[in-house]
Amino acid sequence: MTVSDQRAREAFVALSSTLVDDFDIIDFLDRLVDCCVEVLGVTAAGLLLVDHRGTLNMVAASTEQAMIAELFQLQNHEGPCLDAYHGGEAVLCADLAGASDRWPNFVRAAAGAGFAAVHALPMRLRGTVIGGLNLFSARQGALDPATVEVGQALANVATVAILRQRSARHGDVVVEELQAALDSRILVEQAKGVLAERLNTTVEKSFDLLRRYAHASSVPLAELAAAVVDGSADVALIAATDVRPA
Amino acid sequence: MPVAVGHVCAACAASVGARGVGLTLARGRGRDEPVCSVGPGTDELEEMQFTLGEGPAADAAARRSPVLVADLAGPESGHRWPMFARAAARHGVRAMISVPLRAGAIEVGVLSAYLTERGVLSDDRVADVLVYADAAMLLVLSAADGIATGQRTSTGNGFDERRAEVHQAAGMISVQLGVGVEEALVRLRAHAYAQDRRLVDVARDVVERRLRFSRDATVDTNSDIPSPGKEEDR
Repeated sequence: MTVSDQRAREAFVALSSTLVDDFDIIDFLDRLVDCCVEVLGVTAAGLLLVDHRGTLNMVAASTEQAMIAELFQLQNHEGPCLDAYHGGEAVLCADLAGASDRWPNFVRAAAGAGFAAVHALPMRLRGTVIGGLNLFSARQGALDPATVEVGQALANVATVAILRQRSARHGDVVVEELQAALDSRILVEQAKGVLAERLNTTVEKSFDLLRRYAHASSVPLAELAAAVVDGSADVALIAATDVRPA
Repeated sequence: MPVAVGHVCAACAASVGARGVGLTLARGRGRDEPVCSVGPGTDELEEMQFTLGEGPAADAAARRSPVLVADLAGPESGHRWPMFARAAARHGVRAMISVPLRAGAIEVGVLSAYLTERGVLSDDRVADVLVYADAAMLLVLSAADGIATGQRTSTGNGFDERRAEVHQAAGMISVQLGVGVEEALVRLRAHAYAQDRRLVDVARDVVERRLRFSRDATVDTNSDIPSPGKEEDR
């Protein structure tokens, strides 16, 4: 597996162009994990952030499958992302089947979800690790070093984006930014639920609608989510984005 | 307010070495209510912030973000909160950590730790206050639906209240019942508690439409799956 220079370049240009002015952190991180799948040639990708309890929380995933969420959750006990978080180094596992001694539960769940290889890249900030980027592949085999490098660069971009949410008023304190990113995710999840019920559709579909409408109307995703939850957003209008080409 | 919230405030004060800890609940616009305070002068400082709309706790509520103040006697604090900074000095409070109790659109209140020494607020101290704020939030939500506190403290599977499915389900239930997401989360937690099931499992049933909440306080299910009453057989 190797990453194409051209695609990597395009991906970074696209990402950096959204990293200006009033960007929405959840929208940005979701684009970033989609970009990982496309550019790095992996099957699925997700970002985990560590909260004040030391718990790894999923803040973005390239797929809405419950199984993926479970794989992230499991890593609060064992798994590559937990190891990458504690060690501060990338954890590369080209063949999950050979790692059952190391992570028995994670390997079983990953195999059940159809994954054969996993790579976990730490999100580093100065001396600390604030989370990790998880890359899952359906086929076994190591990502080549150049691809891992691009993956790590994407993880670094995610770190910068999260910390850029607020200006550096408080110096070393990142608690506000982490809390804001985690909370933004929760707000979006609530909005997905409200919209799914209003439109009688799935949460996956309603997330798609929310993102499309946010882009089309240039409203930050979190702001739109808040309006959906408090009932002030026009749900019919959001549903109508469905019929327009993306 | 249950005694348990008072325990959380007292434990928080002991754990972070604070002179006082106070909890003020958000009761809607302009109706914030200090419900619990430990330590000398804490009740006055809490009350004053929400009356004046000035101070780190009031800001934490308004900005929906933790507010960390390393030096309340410094010029920046004096400029930002002129009345409150003077009152804090009078009570010997030099630094503060104020944390909103919230999850997305749900805003329950603010927990504040009042410290007697100024200086850098360590990550550990801040993290401790955040953990106590989580605990206080769960107690407040539980109290809202009469769930006995202390009986179900840990599932051993992390903090379910952060899981995506739980908040998706709360969003769906809020529409099913015509209530806000906070009340919806309270009802979801109460149902999980009553059925002795994990919150995240019940939430997944809601998201995958195996479980519906209806306005007459009962829970409907689709016809092809067992009713909640039969779930106990599993």
